[in-house]
Amino acid sequence: MSSWIDYTINGIIIGNIYALLAVGLALIFGVSRLINFAHGSVYVVGAYAGFVAVTQLGTPLPLTIVIVVAVGALLGLGIERFGLRPLQGYAHIAPLLATIGLSFVLDQLVQLTFSPDPRALPSELLERRFQVGSGTIGALDILIAAVGIGSAALLYYFLRFTRLGWAIRATAQDRDAAQQMGVDVNAVNRAVFAIASALGAVSGLLVGMYYNYIDPAMSFQATLKGVVAQVVGGVGNVPGAIAGSMLLGIVESYGIALFGTSYRNLFAFILLVLVLVLRPNGLFASRRQTPPEPMTGTFIAPSKPIQISYPVLIGIAVVMALLPLVLPNPYVLQTLTNAWLYGLLGLSLTLIAGTVGLISLGHAALLAIGGYASALLSLDLGMPVGASILLAGVIAAAIGTILVFPSFRLRGHYFSIATLAIGEIVSLVILNWESVTRGPIGVAGIPPLSIFGFELDTDRSIYWFALAVLVILAALQFRLLGSHLGRTLRAMRDDDIAARSYGIGLDRYKALAFSVGSFAAGVSGGITSHLYSYINHETFNSQLSILALTIVILGGMGNVTGAILGSVLLVGLPEVFRVAAEYRVLIYGLVLLLLVRFRPQGLLGTI
Amino acid sequence: MTSAPSTAPQPAEPLLALEGINTFYGPVQVHFDLSLKVGRGHIVCLLGGNASGKSTTMKIILGLVKPASGSVHFAGQPITGLPTPQIVRRGVGSVPEARRLFGEMSVRENLLMGAFTRKDQRAVAQDLDRVLGLFPKLAERLTQRAGTLSGGEQQMVAMARALMGRPSMICMDEPTMGLSPLWVDRVLDLIATINREGVTVFMVEQNASLALEIAHHAYVLQTGRIVLDGPAATLRTDPRIRDAYLGGQDAG
Repeated sequence: MSSWIDYTINGIIIGNIYALLAVGLALIFGVSRLINFAHGSVYVVGAYAGFVAVTQLGTPLPLTIVIVVAVGALLGLGIERFGLRPLQGYAHIAPLLATIGLSFVLDQLVQLTFSPDPRALPSELLERRFQVGSGTIGALDILIAAVGIGSAALLYYFLRFTRLGWAIRATAQDRDAAQQMGVDVNAVNRAVFAIASALGAVSGLLVGMYYNYIDPAMSFQATLKGVVAQVVGGVGNVPGAIAGSMLLGIVESYGIALFGTSYRNLFAFILLVLVLVLRPNGLFASRRQTPPEPMTGTFIAPSKPIQISYPVLIGIAVVMALLPLVLPNPYVLQTLTNAWLYGLLGLSLTLIAGTVGLISLGHAALLAIGGYASALLSLDLGMPVGASILLAGVIAAAIGTILVFPSFRLRGHYFSIATLAIGEIVSLVILNWESVTRGPIGVAGIPPLSIFGFELDTDRSIYWFALAVLVILAALQFRLLGSHLGRTLRAMRDDDIAARSYGIGLDRYKALAFSVGSFAAGVSGGITSHLYSYINHETFNSQLSILALTIVILGGMGNVTGAILGSVLLVGLPEVFRVAAEYRVLIYGLVLLLLVRFRPQGLLGTI
Repeated sequence: MTSAPSTAPQPAEPLLALEGINTFYGPVQVHFDLSLKVGRGHIVCLLGGNASGKSTTMKIILGLVKPASGSVHFAGQPITGLPTPQIVRRGVGSVPEARRLFGEMSVRENLLMGAFTRKDQRAVAQDLDRVLGLFPKLAERLTQRAGTLSGGEQQMVAMARALMGRPSMICMDEPTMGLSPLWVDRVLDLIATINREGVTVFMVEQNASLALEIAHHAYVLQTGRIVLDGPAATLRTDPRIRDAYLGGQDAG
């Protein structure tokens, strides 16, 4: 019995922490229609600012909080300046992608400064606990609850009774009309980013103190939790965000009590997908409420794609095929093999995000499904490796499409968030389904690549194999784009209502395109698993999803040649210049940020 | 219906002047060397069919769209390229197309949002009373959410909201759009009343015959060019008005 009180208190405390994040996200969404993916970075920076203040400067708690608030607010202003303001008038998804890029940059800078190792964030309040009924409550719990409730009360007063608060509410309801009342909406944006980020940074500090543990990897999880809480409560709805956070905190806490810690995030993401699919306006929206402004608008910048004729493409393919004979340098061949495998992932995403306009943020899950499928089929069932890779592609297509199918009805941002959550769910299922996937231990001893019994044991043969698979699938995708089906898919992307009125069944075509795309990603994951010989649930992590998206935007959305070029550039170049791994992520973030801003049509143009 | 205004004397200095405006949406040119003047104290209406560039003219004045070339002067000062809030602060009020109220806020909050740029709280409170005197219906609805009002009532809130900023000129974008015939008459009456209190009105309208009844002066816009302009009293009977809407040749 006492433990249930403890779990409830714990849930409410965690809920308070999520609320500090989610309220900020809701405020930002309200005025700018942006889901700020850099919010978790603010939280991490807040935690580390607190860490530096406490351990280096020895500041007392009140002063630490002031410092963290100031750092958070400044960072928020920076995010608004670089992530949002230059992108006014772009597609709604553009600032979202920019904040993803910013979060990569910020997280990586934190990691480079403080190392990826976890740190302790000591708190003078940590030890004190009070008896409450049959459970206990710590001084820190009380502080967190007080900060949460205090911030909510302040925010309520601010939004209701101050001039700036009125301006924020008016801007959230109708940006243009607010401008015509003389509201400087840019100043409102800045204020909101500063406030939201100050709250997010304090949230990071409190979490660090609560667990006496901080590390740079907290960022992505924090963003996701904030997004879950916000979507559950209704996107852009401030009271809803608080309620959603409490619900999420308690659901997680009870989930841990019943099933154990490793299931924690699984509950959060399943809750997210269920709410998205069943009540996309959030649990607390009244039925009559009009849905929030549809966040449509695919990230397809109008452009004239650079035409490369088929003879030239075939010529390039032949040159690439002859390369191992001319330049038998194993390092170059391995690097290019890697680029071909990412090229397959790029083909997959450029079809789904570019041609169909469904911006998937969880594409690495398809690699993971393909990788595990091929590894387990060959290892546990003794299937020949070539056949297992082919089947892995089919399995990735089937599972991927089934998982995403309910989300096809979602539009714009909502689809992206759903795929992000589905990606996390896949990774968590792999982690927890020990009887099949071997859980956290991972799959070791995966047989090496072979086809028809011939083992591919030289760099050259592996190179040719990867190149051949890429060329075949790319040729098929060219064929598809030029066909009636390709036109249908683009029609859906450009205007789904018009497409529907011409009798196109959206879900079926989306499913078709998604499964074709997933096949390529599954094959890529399958080949990768045999090359690595060991994979675990983190091999295909969410960073790969974002890398895939960057590859595809770099090449030009929907552009087959572009996807391959993008992968050669993003995967190959850092290798050639031997850039250290931690700087690579920084580069990917910067490239994404700059592309969205300066060349949304990519290098070769969108199709 | 309001009686037609007597021919007001043309003032020496116009309150608003657009000079040689050229506007583009991407490669599409919306305005071709557009020039027009709004005399102080007048009701001036801009007539024209769909896609003639009327609403864009409104957006240029309010700074929501920037012209490629040309100038906008308000009260003798250049306001070309200024951000919207600054233009509003100089005394340009706005009744946007489709009213654009803050639907989740109460009627009272909407009206006070109209006075957002003002710091003189006491005078704002007086103006609220004055405006409610002009729109007595709104006094009963002060605490109601603006989104729940009928179209005509919303139009009154939008006009009252614009007045709360004490503008010297109000821009109205299709104030009668989507209203029942009864409300159209009422709204036009109110516009005339507001004008009599000394506020210059620049309005964009599709409903030419009604708009010309209260206006002093009118311009007719066709595919981005002024094809006709003159005192409302003479235009009212001018057959070229009809041609401008129906795409006839005479107006050009």
